[in-house]
Amino acid sequence: MGTAAAPAPERAKQRRSSHLWKKALLHFSLCFVMGFFTGFAPSSSSSWRSNSGQPHHQLAASHLTVNQVSSSLVPASPESDAVSNGAVVDVDDVGEGDDERRRRMLIVVTTTRSGGGERRRRRGELLRLAHTLRLVRPPVVWVVVEPAADAAATAEVLRGTGVMYRHLAFRPEENFTSAAAEAHAQRNAALAHVEKHRLSGVLHFADAAAVYDTSFFDQIRQIEAFGTWPVATMSAGEKKVVVEGPLCSESKVTGWFSRDFNDGTTRAVKYNTETDSNPAGAAGTRAHTIDVSGFAFNSSILWDPERWGRPTSLPDTSQDSIKFVQEVVLEDRTKLKGIPSDCSQIMVWQYTMPMVAAQTSTPKTHNRR
Amino acid sequence: AAASAAAARSSGGASGGGGADGVSSDAGAGGRAPATSTFWFLLHALCCLVSLFLGFRFSRLLFFLLFSTTALYSSTSSSSSSAVLRATTTTTTTTTTTTTTTNTFTLSFAAGSNPPPSNPSNHSAALDDAAGHTQSHVVVGRHGIRIRPWPHPDPVEVMRAHRIMERVQEEQRRWYGVKEPRHVLVVTPTYSRAFQALHLTGLLHSLRNVPYPLTWIVVEAGGTTNATASLLARSGLTIVHIPFPDRMPHDWADRHATENRMRLHALRVIRERKMDGVIVFADDSNVHSMELFDEVQKVQWMGAVSVGILAHTGTADQPRLSEEDKQNMPLPVQGPACNSSGQLAGWHTFNSLPFTGKTATVVGEAAPVLPRGLEWAGFVLNSRMLWKEADGKPDWVKDLDAVGENGEEIENPLILLNDASSVEPLGNCGKKILLWWLRVEARADSKFPQGWVIEPPLEVVIPAKRTPWPETTTELSSELVDTKPDQEDRRLSRTN
Amino acid sequence: MRWVLAAIAILAAACFFLGAEAQEVRQGHQTERISGSAGDVLEDDPVGRLKVYVYDLPSKYNKKLLKKDPRCLNHMFAAEIFMHRFLLSSAVRTFNPEEADWFYTPVYTTCDLTPSGLPLPFKSPRMMRSAIELIATKWPYWNRSEGADHFFVTPHDFGACFHYQEEKAIGRGILPLLQRATLVQTFGQKNHVCLKDGSITIPPFAPPQKMQAHLIPADTPRSIFVYFRGLFYDTSNDPEGGYYARGARASVWENFKNNPLFDISTDHPPTYYEDMQRAVFCLCPLGWAPWSPRLVEAVVFGCIPVIIADDIVLPFADAIPWEEIGVFVAEEDVPKLDSILTSIPTDVILRKQRLLANPSMKQAMLFPQPAQAGDAFHQILNGLARKLPHGENVFLKPGERALNWTAGPVGDLKPC
Repeated sequence: MGTAAAPAPERAKQRRSSHLWKKALLHFSLCFVMGFFTGFAPSSSSSWRSNSGQPHHQLAASHLTVNQVSSSLVPASPESDAVSNGAVVDVDDVGEGDDERRRRMLIVVTTTRSGGGERRRRRGELLRLAHTLRLVRPPVVWVVVEPAADAAATAEVLRGTGVMYRHLAFRPEENFTSAAAEAHAQRNAALAHVEKHRLSGVLHFADAAAVYDTSFFDQIRQIEAFGTWPVATMSAGEKKVVVEGPLCSESKVTGWFSRDFNDGTTRAVKYNTETDSNPAGAAGTRAHTIDVSGFAFNSSILWDPERWGRPTSLPDTSQDSIKFVQEVVLEDRTKLKGIPSDCSQIMVWQYTMPMVAAQTSTPKTHNRR
Repeated sequence: AAASAAAARSSGGASGGGGADGVSSDAGAGGRAPATSTFWFLLHALCCLVSLFLGFRFSRLLFFLLFSTTALYSSTSSSSSSAVLRATTTTTTTTTTTTTTTNTFTLSFAAGSNPPPSNPSNHSAALDDAAGHTQSHVVVGRHGIRIRPWPHPDPVEVMRAHRIMERVQEEQRRWYGVKEPRHVLVVTPTYSRAFQALHLTGLLHSLRNVPYPLTWIVVEAGGTTNATASLLARSGLTIVHIPFPDRMPHDWADRHATENRMRLHALRVIRERKMDGVIVFADDSNVHSMELFDEVQKVQWMGAVSVGILAHTGTADQPRLSEEDKQNMPLPVQGPACNSSGQLAGWHTFNSLPFTGKTATVVGEAAPVLPRGLEWAGFVLNSRMLWKEADGKPDWVKDLDAVGENGEEIENPLILLNDASSVEPLGNCGKKILLWWLRVEARADSKFPQGWVIEPPLEVVIPAKRTPWPETTTELSSELVDTKPDQEDRRLSRTN
Repeated sequence: MRWVLAAIAILAAACFFLGAEAQEVRQGHQTERISGSAGDVLEDDPVGRLKVYVYDLPSKYNKKLLKKDPRCLNHMFAAEIFMHRFLLSSAVRTFNPEEADWFYTPVYTTCDLTPSGLPLPFKSPRMMRSAIELIATKWPYWNRSEGADHFFVTPHDFGACFHYQEEKAIGRGILPLLQRATLVQTFGQKNHVCLKDGSITIPPFAPPQKMQAHLIPADTPRSIFVYFRGLFYDTSNDPEGGYYARGARASVWENFKNNPLFDISTDHPPTYYEDMQRAVFCLCPLGWAPWSPRLVEAVVFGCIPVIIADDIVLPFADAIPWEEIGVFVAEEDVPKLDSILTSIPTDVILRKQRLLANPSMKQAMLFPQPAQAGDAFHQILNGLARKLPHGENVFLKPGERALNWTAGPVGDLKPC
């Protein structure tokens, strides 16, 4: 700092100015030091938590929840943080569309049933679904739940497809008396995974035997909370094609219908918008459930029910997640989105195998009655 | 390391001071001039900010130099930077290694905000020794668990990762895949029916994943339809959509024969147009593994692959099959059988014995459909063997015109050969199942919505308080009718 | 006008300053350095370059222990057993101790399992000490150099410190009797009490046949971005967290459990080996010790190892170009792991994968039965051969003594 003070002041004005600029110098130095120490503060990338002996998982959990909310609502750019931390980030994503940033993650869950016939058919069916999912634009996470005994053989088929999947080996605690019970338990196992990992995205249970149009997956990405659409169910060896789904008007679900194209019957129920806008009105219908093939939902309902205006400690969430979700979807009709907007295009086909009393093999897809 | 930090700090202070000097001397010059005080103030503030920023960046630089001894992903240059560090460290160390050395490094910030290591004696030992002994910057003891505050996962990074994986897979294909891939010609007979959309969409997705140049030859019975055409058009594949005059019969045996004639028709088109490539026979209800398309690249003239037969056994009574048998019954396979030296020795055919008298005769009957003889789907051909003239075409190949002229049924492509022993078994000599064969159909007279669009929009029905889902049966159960007092809430409407 | 100029000057200075820094940063992350010599070193043949004398110890130091608990053959420390078996039939073995360059003492210090199969080294120091006392009295060669031409395989968590907890291990230090010997160990961390100068760092033992059986075709598309299976919190030994893995594993879980690209879990699936082969990156974070069997698995299965262990010394680092095949992430940078991995240029990733496909690299990580050219046994011998000829300080002058036979914890001095 010697040079600065070099010219010897003679006049008062000069003295004053020299004084002024010593002051300035002081300011600058102070600022520099301040900046210097700001830089030395713990980098914003780390948040140090005290070791208070509390379970870390819980602390971390609440921390993450907050972040999750902001991430799914505002796709904020973390680059600024990263750069200031001295991390190397190629900022070369010039061509990155807004679309890509906003594209929601899809969590596709596929359950498989045990039983000889099912196991034989499984590889082919999973392969077909894998090929479809391979065409869906990322990010997609495919969760395949399978009885542990069969997992290795199926994995061989799946890994050849190049699809990013997570294989959950399912070890049931009980022997299932019905295929429905097994599927139910497997779905809960998948939801437990989503809950534990706090995966955030649109979750749909895709039946391996169902065939999807690829545009379907783009459509369900639009779902904010819950979504539903018409599904065509065909019966092999019968004269029966049934389409079931929501009645929609501008994506708003106004009711439900079921139409059999062969005997020409249509059953439909329409909500009375005046008297039935109160979700509580539907609370009496707890006994009803919505079929899993016909809806998708935002997975955060599983691990962040508060965000959805629900009490946190519902016993349902941990014990029987899928039942919980099914109920929530029906109760909270205002958050239900019809897909596509008028719910007229069918993008999902599934079939039922001819089944008489189902004593030889497990029922194929859906026993709806 | 502390010494180097101090040195760096002092040099930082010097350079920072120098910067401030420059600023202030200029500012001083400004002070002499009769300028407006606001401008002076602004400049002052600006300079303050600049020095703040400079200080910040400088400390980050120092921070970076000091603590990033481990490279992010690089090696050489960062190890050189860490080598500098090491050098500064080793100057303060003695060469003797003693057993009392502990590995403690106190970061100025870490020590302040992080609880000290749990073993105090250890810690103090470290401090005692700090002057003269080797140090690593690894702390022994309890650490904070770093959780980043910014939102994640970052969608941009997720997309970037997917692009990386795409490139990796592409590169894998380049390393291990076929060097000069041949064109794949897929022949598919189809017709408009309830299950067409389901089957064809599935096949279409598989074909879109094939990493080789591909032409899809679709032969449609009863002439081409718009529904099929629009479905195919959306695939983005190269498509040859050929009409076939005959309608698809309802009898399974007849349908089988018609499909064979349709395939032969496609082969004639290939012959006429001199299309070059490997012909794969894909029924719309087949499911293919991608490995099949790798395997067919190896075919010289005619190859055979193993087909897994998914004959659904969902019929009510199957006296010959106990539940246990069904559990243990392996997937029936149809395809080539090899001897120990890897030569074609015969064929695995489908054992239809357990199904005697239980199979479907009419399309859409509620009984399993079995393959008849060897399925076409299990064969692949070099299209050149169909051409009138082709280089090196073996003499054991018949001319296509001589086949099926009199309307006899072509059971399988083996009829094209004089000598079936030249067929090349593919897929690890037929040990690997490369495609699955399943026939499920609705009854032939099943109606379905055109283009799978429900229109006109459903008529408005009487409002309801309840969601009927999923008890929506075609008939109201008597229980519902009888017991629900508010049954007027719903209405059964018959449209025809 | 002058002020404007001054302002410009300041800005220019600032730009220069920042630019210089940016330069620095960029330099820090350049990668590509082509070096093809690594493979050559890996393919060195040690035969003819050294002679090893294997002491014939009573079977209570080795074979009897194994008979008592054959599980010793399968855990991560089993290298000590297989090294013994290998040397017995190796071409470098000599039966004439006078012509030997190296002396090997076959003690299975880790073959002392708890009922649940955990190898805990409580008896190890006493056993090692007892074996050394035996060879020092029975043969003249130990006293000649006090162990400087002897090597010992000590594959435990913290090597010859013989404790599985780092603080305790540091407190103990390397067994005093081994101070002059060469240690062949899995543990490696720079400037650590338990890492002696001149030690040979080896990969942990991973069952070669089992891995071989799980190999899948190399063209299986890699469809997992990041893969990890293992503990994040060791709640039984570290209930408060932050001590285990220095908090790095916990940080991986907390930051990335919800990331679709991170296939991380504590479940150990039956397809673990296959899944590694369809992953691009495999995390190899430190556990209680900085090394982990995942390193071996990642290299064998061609998955780029992401090494999270500050100052780790990697196996055969003189022969394997770890910087070029792996990714190093500082423990404090774990929260940035996704940014770090996704910002690696694809070319660099592909190059790492090409290097990993090199069979000699995989071979050097394994202890196959029977031994094969270029495997880990041979790399160990290569390492020993490179230390030859012995320096002048190896052999003591008559009457000179360097070791203190009574140093160390009192417990260790008890007879075995």
